[in-house]
Amino acid sequence: MNITAIILALAVMAVLGVLFGVVLTIADKKFAVEVDPRASAIRECLGGANCGACGYAGCDAFAQAVVDGEAPVNGCTPGGAKAAEAIAAIMGMSVDLSGERIAARVVCQGECGVAKDRYIYDGYASCATVAGIAGGPKMCRFACIGLGDCAKACAFGAIEIVNGIAKIDESKCTACGQCQKACPRGVIELKPVNETVIVSCRNTDSGREARAACMKACIACGRCTKECPSDAIHVEGGVAKIDPEKCTRCGACAKVCPCKCIVDFLA
Amino acid sequence: MLRNQQWVLRVGFCGFGAVGKYERQVLALPKYSFKGGVHPLHDQHEGKTSTTKLPIRAYVPDSVDIPMSMSIGAPATPIVQVGDHVKMGQKIGEANGFVSLPVHASVSGEVTAIGTKVLLLGGPTTIVTIKNDFQDEWTELSPLGPVEEADPTKIVPAVQAAGICGMGGATFPAHVKLTVGEGKYCDTIILNGAECETHVTCDHRLMIEEPQRIVDGLRAVMRALDVKRGVIAVEDNKPDAIDSMKRAAAGREGVEVVTLRTKYPQGSEKQLISAVTGREVPSKKLPLDAHVIVLNVGTAKAIADAVIEGKPLIDRVTTVKGCVKDHANLRLRMGTIVADVIGECGGYTEEAGKIVMGGCMTGLCAPNDQVVVSKGSNGILVFNEEDAKGYEENPCIRCGRCVEACPIGLNPYRMKHFCDAGDLKGAEANDLMECILCGSCSYICPAKRWLTASFKSTKEAIMREARRAKK
Repeated sequence: MNITAIILALAVMAVLGVLFGVVLTIADKKFAVEVDPRASAIRECLGGANCGACGYAGCDAFAQAVVDGEAPVNGCTPGGAKAAEAIAAIMGMSVDLSGERIAARVVCQGECGVAKDRYIYDGYASCATVAGIAGGPKMCRFACIGLGDCAKACAFGAIEIVNGIAKIDESKCTACGQCQKACPRGVIELKPVNETVIVSCRNTDSGREARAACMKACIACGRCTKECPSDAIHVEGGVAKIDPEKCTRCGACAKVCPCKCIVDFLA
Repeated sequence: MLRNQQWVLRVGFCGFGAVGKYERQVLALPKYSFKGGVHPLHDQHEGKTSTTKLPIRAYVPDSVDIPMSMSIGAPATPIVQVGDHVKMGQKIGEANGFVSLPVHASVSGEVTAIGTKVLLLGGPTTIVTIKNDFQDEWTELSPLGPVEEADPTKIVPAVQAAGICGMGGATFPAHVKLTVGEGKYCDTIILNGAECETHVTCDHRLMIEEPQRIVDGLRAVMRALDVKRGVIAVEDNKPDAIDSMKRAAAGREGVEVVTLRTKYPQGSEKQLISAVTGREVPSKKLPLDAHVIVLNVGTAKAIADAVIEGKPLIDRVTTVKGCVKDHANLRLRMGTIVADVIGECGGYTEEAGKIVMGGCMTGLCAPNDQVVVSKGSNGILVFNEEDAKGYEENPCIRCGRCVEACPIGLNPYRMKHFCDAGDLKGAEANDLMECILCGSCSYICPAKRWLTASFKSTKEAIMREARRAKK
C-alpha cells in the first residue's frame, strides 16, 4: 500500500463526482417538470388526511385544482377556516369566513336499553345491510343501528360506538361529511357547534308508536313549544324542530321535555 | 296458542351456525350435476327425515294478514276498504306495472284492518287483515279448461292474473320469466324438483301427492311458449317422488323425468341448467340466454290450478320443523301468521332462539313470530337458543376448501379480503357479482369465516353505489 494509490483513488472519485454533478445539474434544468409553487404551498396548509371530502382524489389533487381555479379556496373542510385563510393568501384572493365551525352530530339517543330491540343481530357488521333486514335491529325505524359504518368511514378517528350508538368527538371532527354519507339511516347531521340545544330524535311516527319503540323518542307532545320564550321550537310532521335563528340556547325546552329527547349541551 | 313470544329472537344471515355442527363433505364430479357444491347434513338425510313421510294437511287460520308485497317487484295497491266482505280468490291488491303481481284474498270474510307490519325484508309493508268466516266461498273464476285444449295465447296472461311467482323462495314473477323477449327463444323448460335445501320437504310431498297437476302445469307452459322439451329434474334422494313423477309423465308429449345427483346447490338455476342440458348461462345473463326457462314444481302446480280451474295463487305447502311439537307439511293460506302455524303444530317445545323462513342455507331470519306466510315461504324452521347462537370468525387458514366448494368457480377467500377492507372495486374485479350467495363456502369453511354474509353485504353496497352513480 503506497500513498499514490490512495491519492489516485481520491482524485478519480473527485473527478467522477464533479462530472456527475455537472450532468445532473444540466439534466435537472433541461428536463425540469414545471410545478406551480403555489400547489405545493397549498398542499402544506391542508388537513393532510386524504379524506376526499372536497370531492377530489386526495390533498394533492385538491391543491392542483385550487391552483387551476377549479376548486374553491375554502373547499378543504378538515382544514377549516385556518386553511382557507392560508390558501386565500397564497392565491391572493379574499375569503368569507363568517361561517361558524361545523361538526357532525348523531341525532339519536337510542342506546341499548333505551331503544327497544326488535331482534338480536349476530351477523356481519354493516349498518347498511342490517337496515334492510326486517326493519333493523331496533324497534325504531329512524334509530342509529350502531354497527359502526360511520366509524369505519371516519378518517380522523372521531367516531366511536358506545353502548350501541355512535358517539362523535367534536374536538376531532372536521366536518368532512364522510360519516353522513355512510349512514344508511341519515341520523348524522352537520350542524354549527354553537347550536348547543338540539332535538336528538328524528322519529316522525305517532307518539304512541314512537314511545313503544324508544324511551327517548320525540312523541310530538308540544310541551317544548309552549315553554319556549322565543317561539323557536315547533312540532313539524311528528317531530320537534328548532329554528336556530330564533333559538337563544336558553335550554327551557330541554328541561321540560318528558322524553329527554331535547339535549342541552351546556346544561 | 302462543302469540307474541316473550323472548327476543336472534337474526343473522341464515342458519349456517346450526348446520355447521354436523359432518362436512365435498363430493367429486358426478353425472347430471355440476362442479363444486357441498353436502349439508349428509349423515342425517339433509335433516329431512322427520317430514318426508308426512302427508300434506291443510290449516286454515282465524284471520290472515296478507302483505301487499309477496314477490320481487313493486308492491300492489290495496283496492278494498275496511269493512268490505271479500270472497276467496277475490283480487284485493292491484299490481303496479309489469314486474309486479296482483294480490288475492286467501280466505273469505271481512276486511278488518289495513295497516303495516315489519316482515322479513326492508321496512314496514302494507298488510290487509281479513277475518275468516270459514265459508270458503270462491269468487267467480274463469278457467281456460283442460291444459291440452286451452288457448295457448291466454295461458301467460292467466298466470299473471293469478299472481303466480317463483315458489322456490326467490319469488320472481312467473309471467315475466315466461315472456320471451325479441330475438330470444326457449327450447327447454326445466321443472326444478331438486329441493337441495336442507330440512324443507314441501316440493317432495307435492311431487308425491299431486304429480298430475305438476305435469299439467309443465304442459301448459310448453304449449304457451311452443316448446317441445320439458324436463322434470329430481335429486336421487327422493326415489318415491321420481317414481310418482315418472308415472304422471308417462304418455305426455315431450315430458321427461331426470334424476340428479344429490348435492347442494343442485336446485340453483344455473347449476340445474348445467346439470340437465350441459349449457352454461353466460355471466350476468338470464337462463333464457341459454334457451332454458326454469320453474319450481310448486310454481307448475300453481300454473295448472290457474289454467284448469282459474284459481289464483292463495295457498302453498310449507314445511314446519325444529323445536315445535309436531313437525308437518302444511298447506297454508297466504298471510297466515307464523305464530298461528306454530300453534297448529302444537306450539314451541322450548324457548325459540331463531325462526328461519326457508331452509338452513338460504332462508331468512324472522324478527318475531308475527311475520306471515307468503308466496316464497317453503319452510318455517324454529331453532332453540343453543342452535341459534352465532359463532366466532377465525382467520383464514388458506386451505382452499371454499374454492373447491364454490359452484360458480370463484375464489371466496380472496373476495372476502376485499369485502372486509371495503374495497368495492377490488371485490368486483374478483367477480363478486357472479356469486349466487348459496352459502357453500361459509358452510365448508373450517375457520368459520363469514364468507356469504360479507358477500351479500358487499354486493348490496356495490349495487347501492351503482344506483347512486346513476343519479
